[in-house]
Amino acid sequence: MALIMHSSLLLIFFTLLYPLLTTLNPDQQESKLAEMTKTAVSSAFFISLLPLMIFLNLKTEGIITNWHWMNTQTFDINISFKFDHYSLIFVPIALYVTWSILEFALWYMHSDPYINRFFKYLLTFLVAMIILVTANNMFQLFIGWEGVGIMSFLLIGWWHGRADANTAALQAVIYNRVGDIGLIMTMAWFAMNLNSWEIQQVFTLSKDFNMTIPLMGLALAATGKSAQFGLHPWLPSAMEGPTPVSALLHSSTMVVAGIFLLIRLHPLMENNQLALTICLCLGALTSLFTATCALTQNDIKKIVAFSTSSQLGLMMVTIGLNQPQLAFLHICTHAFFKAMLFLCSGSIIHSLNDEQDIRKMGGLFNIMPATSTYFTIGSLALTGTPFLAGFFSKDAIIEALNTSYLNAWALILTLIATSFTAVYSFRLVYFVIMGTPRFLPLSPINENNPLVINPIKRLAWGSIIAGFIITHNFLPMKTPIMTMPTTLKMAALLVTIMGLLIAMDLANMTSKQVKITPTITTHHFSNMLGFFPAITHRLIPKLNLTLGQSIATQFDKTWLETVGPKGLALTQTVLAKITNDITRGMIKTYLTIFLLTLILATIPILL
Amino acid sequence: MAAVYLTHHQKVLRLYKKSLRHIESWCIFRDKYRFYACLLRARFDENKHEKDMVKATIMLKAGEEEFWANQHPQPYLFPDSPGGTSYERYECYKVPEWCLDHWHPSEKAMYPDYFAKREQWKKLRVQSWDRE
Repeated sequence: MALIMHSSLLLIFFTLLYPLLTTLNPDQQESKLAEMTKTAVSSAFFISLLPLMIFLNLKTEGIITNWHWMNTQTFDINISFKFDHYSLIFVPIALYVTWSILEFALWYMHSDPYINRFFKYLLTFLVAMIILVTANNMFQLFIGWEGVGIMSFLLIGWWHGRADANTAALQAVIYNRVGDIGLIMTMAWFAMNLNSWEIQQVFTLSKDFNMTIPLMGLALAATGKSAQFGLHPWLPSAMEGPTPVSALLHSSTMVVAGIFLLIRLHPLMENNQLALTICLCLGALTSLFTATCALTQNDIKKIVAFSTSSQLGLMMVTIGLNQPQLAFLHICTHAFFKAMLFLCSGSIIHSLNDEQDIRKMGGLFNIMPATSTYFTIGSLALTGTPFLAGFFSKDAIIEALNTSYLNAWALILTLIATSFTAVYSFRLVYFVIMGTPRFLPLSPINENNPLVINPIKRLAWGSIIAGFIITHNFLPMKTPIMTMPTTLKMAALLVTIMGLLIAMDLANMTSKQVKITPTITTHHFSNMLGFFPAITHRLIPKLNLTLGQSIATQFDKTWLETVGPKGLALTQTVLAKITNDITRGMIKTYLTIFLLTLILATIPILL
Repeated sequence: MAAVYLTHHQKVLRLYKKSLRHIESWCIFRDKYRFYACLLRARFDENKHEKDMVKATIMLKAGEEEFWANQHPQPYLFPDSPGGTSYERYECYKVPEWCLDHWHPSEKAMYPDYFAKREQWKKLRVQSWDRE
């Protein structure tokens, strides 16, 4: 059994690497890399179901150490893959979502001349992500970590002729780099104090150490990669990339890498209350802040991006609650409905001729019924509608939050963020799907292509049943608290319904002539993303420039020049000029004075 | 417009169009937008026969300040206009125009009108280069 599992897992790797290797072939014409990639990923998905079934049936987990790569007498770096509960469930889900996205990308990027390169990048990203997820040592994890960061840069800046896209790609790389400092610090600490980068050894050896420093490093790494508050602006900017990129990287897979790291290394955090509290509070703050920003955005992709950020905050909260399995469950369910939301948005955007502003969409329910249905299903799953995918994870998280003896502030923030989720989801559905059309009449609206509809349909099935299936198939490591007051149990649902009702009321008021502008200050705070990007990106350069200007004018120009030499020169020249002008051209006066002086000089001699 | 300075007329019209676009960004539904657009038009029309330029300039300044206070932070931009979502998106696929000079004559023969005019266009460009 173990042999079957390990061979199928390695087969997955080779299936995914094969299309990349064909690109190394020097004579390539008319290569069908795009379709080959999609087929490779779909076959890899079906292959990966085999180890998943073996795991679910027999609870076998495995570690394969393939190659002793760099081994000294004191330190070993190997290539070893860990196939435990987390990676065995995540890999099929990632492959399923990627398969759908690649099929969608065949339609979306159809007119792009470099579509083969696009698929190559996406496949490289997928390979890097799987390396990250199956890594059994920190070095391999770091390879995957950096790999996904670089592919993110290349894919966000896909349309590199666009200045904003390049800025966004740089932003992603730099913010991720700041997070990488934390990861490298943790790795250095492990190498120095525990003398190992293998995860099992780290767990056993770390019992007697004070793990605060490496855990802070891990928290920083997760903040960078998973866009927690402080290092979050790159995620909404990353929407500059094409929609398949946003769907794959910035919703389902890459951004969960930080949370996945924390889940993997969770046993280190269990006993460190500081790390748990930091995760809890940071996650709650992120969740609320980004949900607030999502309330007033007008770009459909940005709203979904902020929604992703908010859910990542929620996952961080779960880690802070000492519930890594719930966080993992949320990662899995979130992947389905978020990718589906992005694919539906991509379909809508393409149909409306690249229109991304929800102010110019509307009434799509009649024209694109399938897409709008799936969009609604995705939004319902996101808000945690009972018995769809999001419910199992989200409700469990809120229950765990309610019944733990922790920070009440984090609890309140998370509940408010949950209600905001309902508000912005409803806002999105209201402006995009309901009402009357606000887009141009001759838009090429098309959802007939099976390449569009089949992926979204598959993801919709996932959004509906994935939560159910996964919940029933994983073994809870921690006993969930089963008895709680009814209010606490229903808290998530109540808060969501309240948010929904408020949103409906507000939407009703928007369509009537009450006033033009809403309350300016709060709207501006939300719309300008809390002024966070404006301050962090512009304040320091502006201060530098102002300092430079004041030094140049005040110090250099005034004190060193005008007060000193130049001022002196100026006064002298002015006076000299005046004197010169006064006495200029007065020949008769000169001659008269000359004669007068001569007479005055010679009179004493005569006398 | 040939001169560097804007006339009062141009400034007023620019303010009007800007304000309309920002009202469109605020008022998402067309009927509500039409209502406020008509109100704005009425406000502008009320004072359009003002002959005193001093008063007119003061009103314009007040209008600009009101616009600044009430503008939308993310005004609606068309996707292809500067600042829009697909502006400059296809720059990376564009080929510079000097490549046209390197076409083979048989290829150039496929577009005789264009290449005939192209020589004239190049001469015009050389002449107006310094002026630009």
